[in-house]
Amino acid sequence: MDIKKILKEKWPYLFLLLVAFAVPVLVSSRYVFQVIVISVVWSVAALSLNLVLGYTGLASLAHAGFFGIGAYGVALLTRGGMSFWLALPLSALLATVVGLFIAMPALRTRESYFAISTLCFGVIIYIVAGNWLSLTGGHTGIIGIPRVTPIRLPFLTIEFTSLTSQYYLVLVLLLLTLFVMHRLVYSLQGLTFMSIRNNEVLAEAVGINAFSTKLLSFCIANFIVALAGGVYAPLMGSISPTVTMHILTFNWLVFTLLGGVATLAGPIIGAFAITVLIESLYFLGEYQLIIFGALLIVVIIYFPRGLMGIYDNLSLKAKDFYQQRRSGFKDVQRIAQSRGSD
Amino acid sequence: MSRRRGRDNCPNLFYNIKRKGCESVQLFLQQVFNGIMIGSTYAIVALGLTLVFGILHVPNFAHGHLYMLGAYVTFFMMKLYGLSFWPALLISMLVLALIGVLVERIVFRPLINQAHITMFISAIGLLMLIENFVIVAWGPRAHRIQNPYPTIVRVFGITMTHQRIIVIAAAVILMVLLQLFIKKTIVGTTIEAVAQDREGALMMGISVNRVAGMTFAISSALAAAAASLVAPIFMISPTMGGLLVMKAMIIIILGGMGSIKGAILGGYILGLVEALGGGYLSAAYKDVFAFGLLIAVLAVKPTGLFGKEK
Amino acid sequence: MKRAKKLLAVLLILALAVTIAGCGKKTEPTPAPGPTPAQPPKEVVIGYSGPLSGPAAEYGQDCLNGIIYAVEEIKNAGGFEVNGQKYIFKLESIDDGANPTQSVTNARRLQELNAVAITNPVMTSIAPMIELNQEAGNEFLMLAYTSTPKVVQTGNKYLVAVPPPFTVYINAFSKLAWDKGWRKGAMVITLGAYGDEWRQLFKAHWEGLGGQITADQPANYYTEVDYSAQLTASLATNPDFLLIGGPSQPTALVMEQARMLGFTGAFLLIDQAKMEYIESLIGLDMMGEVIGVGRIMDFPSATAKKFDDGYTKRFGVMNTWESVLNYTMTHKLALAMQAAGSVDDVAAIVAAYPKVYPIKGDTYPVEYFGVEAGGATYLPAMVQTIEAGKYSKPALYVWWAKTDAEFQQVKSQAQDGSNMVKMDLKR
Repeated sequence: MDIKKILKEKWPYLFLLLVAFAVPVLVSSRYVFQVIVISVVWSVAALSLNLVLGYTGLASLAHAGFFGIGAYGVALLTRGGMSFWLALPLSALLATVVGLFIAMPALRTRESYFAISTLCFGVIIYIVAGNWLSLTGGHTGIIGIPRVTPIRLPFLTIEFTSLTSQYYLVLVLLLLTLFVMHRLVYSLQGLTFMSIRNNEVLAEAVGINAFSTKLLSFCIANFIVALAGGVYAPLMGSISPTVTMHILTFNWLVFTLLGGVATLAGPIIGAFAITVLIESLYFLGEYQLIIFGALLIVVIIYFPRGLMGIYDNLSLKAKDFYQQRRSGFKDVQRIAQSRGSD
Repeated sequence: MSRRRGRDNCPNLFYNIKRKGCESVQLFLQQVFNGIMIGSTYAIVALGLTLVFGILHVPNFAHGHLYMLGAYVTFFMMKLYGLSFWPALLISMLVLALIGVLVERIVFRPLINQAHITMFISAIGLLMLIENFVIVAWGPRAHRIQNPYPTIVRVFGITMTHQRIIVIAAAVILMVLLQLFIKKTIVGTTIEAVAQDREGALMMGISVNRVAGMTFAISSALAAAAASLVAPIFMISPTMGGLLVMKAMIIIILGGMGSIKGAILGGYILGLVEALGGGYLSAAYKDVFAFGLLIAVLAVKPTGLFGKEK
Repeated sequence: MKRAKKLLAVLLILALAVTIAGCGKKTEPTPAPGPTPAQPPKEVVIGYSGPLSGPAAEYGQDCLNGIIYAVEEIKNAGGFEVNGQKYIFKLESIDDGANPTQSVTNARRLQELNAVAITNPVMTSIAPMIELNQEAGNEFLMLAYTSTPKVVQTGNKYLVAVPPPFTVYINAFSKLAWDKGWRKGAMVITLGAYGDEWRQLFKAHWEGLGGQITADQPANYYTEVDYSAQLTASLATNPDFLLIGGPSQPTALVMEQARMLGFTGAFLLIDQAKMEYIESLIGLDMMGEVIGVGRIMDFPSATAKKFDDGYTKRFGVMNTWESVLNYTMTHKLALAMQAAGSVDDVAAIVAAYPKVYPIKGDTYPVEYFGVEAGGATYLPAMVQTIEAGKYSKPALYVWWAKTDAEFQQVKSQAQDGSNMVKMDLKR
């Protein structure tokens, strides 16, 4: 692994990483900072939704339910005295197990049926969260969630009381998620997921077990989004059943689709862009959501592949432009080749 | 003046049965009546949705908001132009039919060749647009429509208002009309043709686009009718369609997408399950019964009661 | 070209980053410029984050209207004076749709706009917001408009609770119902944080008295319109009274549907539902016998009627407790700032709050008699009944007085203490 080579090829990503780590220094407004922190959490959620929807073709509309299980799990366990670092994986595990139970009946259905039945499961989770008074505190929710347990290293203690420290926590989660997604998508397993998305019948004919593949994708996605829920709880300090509402799932859906479905950057870009857009439309007052709704329709019609789609188109055009500039001969060669290879 | 309810309502017919038994039967019948009434509303709304979702494969999540808009148009007509109930309802159906055609053309048709999920997104955009437009135009408060038939009728101790009976009757009439339309008219058969085989219909020279517009028109008009029928009993508000569309989705999946029979049956089943479950088991978890029912059915038959295997 | 692609990526992301970073830098609100040589009134920002869209929009708007009314009144009077400088309020309101995540974002935004006090009328939004208001250098006073008893148990240093805790109403209603000889009650209350707590506490209290709750059939007043299932089941248990309530409009529906199903007993209304509003929707005949929160216009203060008329003229809608209490809350804030001698030192303002009481009925539509350390403010709880188509004389419950002497003192301070009743409330 040549350091020089990495720097030469991957420098935009390293630059981005630097910017991400420097955010607390660059941004002075606490309001903007808050929006950024929340957007990072939403990015993780949208990324996990993209795994199951964009790469595997499963419209899992119960996603927010698992986010909520992660959040409630951490909230209840840490209030009971457990360390955050133990509560987080436990809650994510719980969400995955619940997901298994849901997957059993749901994965037998196809497409729209799957979407609606997962939507139903999500709403059931919301209703249970709201009515199980003794466990979840009902609709009032849980107040007074302790901050993330400090990490005691031999030479220093990392506390998580300031917004900056919480930002780094969620940033690390986002980077981990990106790493996992990247490895997954560009592996044989990722190809398997995509084969299910593209043509399930054909995939089965080739010998892929559709059910277990879908189940795997579903479980990984649920685990990740529950982690996001788990960091959201101490961030807010109090949660209510609204963290399980299907509205959240729809938001992440919009982020993913407008950012660019089945891309790694898409959900992140979508999360930030849409949040910024909504906040900046605030001046429109009562017309804010009307304009936003109309914009949503227009954008999805003209840019069905989202912002990443626009970006791809632009870069293709840039590529062509570069090519033309470079050498006309190569162009002729290319045309001749394409003609010949009919 | 607190006369205990029920004690003197038991007709002589049941006198030999213990009074408690009589009251239980009354309670049961009352819940059944409630369930049938709500089921009628559900059935009409689900009918509209199954036409669009099942036949055109458009996941119109904004269906509930078209329903709500129908109620508001009726309210508007009655309030501003002083029309009486039935003319206002008919105008509302017409207006919503037109809006349905527009929606199909502008919001959904451009995405026909993209993944289904993109239509979901534009439906969400449409939903936000409609809801907030209504809030800006008429405010966030709920409104009342004058009940044209407020008289109460008591049969076997069951309380029914005339309006509720009309809802049930009108729903049945609409369903019969729709069935006749689909089976007996030429336009109706083109819809059925597209439902069965889109490419085949195209090859036969049927304008699929025209059929799509027509289907949306019928779907929206039905929603408007359902909303206007129940509006005088309840209240209209900008968010009245939100939960309803989810229930309608459940119904059409339960009954099988694209199946008219399924939508009707599913609607009544759901209405009864909610009334009886909510009344006898748990009111707080009333909505869970709807969702739970769906899961139970799908576990046994993944394509719904009358659904076809793809 | 791979290079071009990556360059483009970096540029796009930079552009986005700059936009995000830049759009947060809001300039300070400039004070109103005035050519007059006398010092023009400076602006003090108060923030409102609440539901202005969605199912709770009407409730949120009512609260906001009260604040707007007070802010305008203060402005028209030339402002309030602190240390020789006149000040008026600048109201910044942001919709949060009762979504707690948005409330917190709004709180941050309002902090940026230099809001000294922020108000919110939903408990599940207030809870995460008070995680922020004690940050050194960024403090703000949380004006919590909620009658949930938990809100004054959080230990937050900068919090004031505006309405009385609803446990007062539970006590009052129970006593009135018990004295009438009723023993069996059924509950059809709204689902939601507020309704859940009401149900829990009322049931515990009523059963503690020796009464019986024959049915507990909650309904979602925010989304449902058909309550026949719950009502039918409840009425089958032959209750003496029905405890119902949620927002006023659906409560009117519940009443109507219950009456149509043949219920002839009485209704007890939780404090969210307002009798005069319901009356305007379905009429006194349909309502029958009702025990609930009293009408504002019947509050024994000289200003109540005047406020009622002025408010209805300004906003074109009926006055509600939300508006009247938010109105008084805004005026109290101005008084506290005056007493503290500061418009931005939150700690000083909170410390000065006790000095603004008693709030008297000759100037304000309602009367407040004090505040305590946790933030609970002493507003007597007003209860009225409707019997035989007429409103009774209101009873005002003094729920904070620990001794008889204290109660007598309150009674003497009030404009009209004849209807005051002492209540022993366990807190």
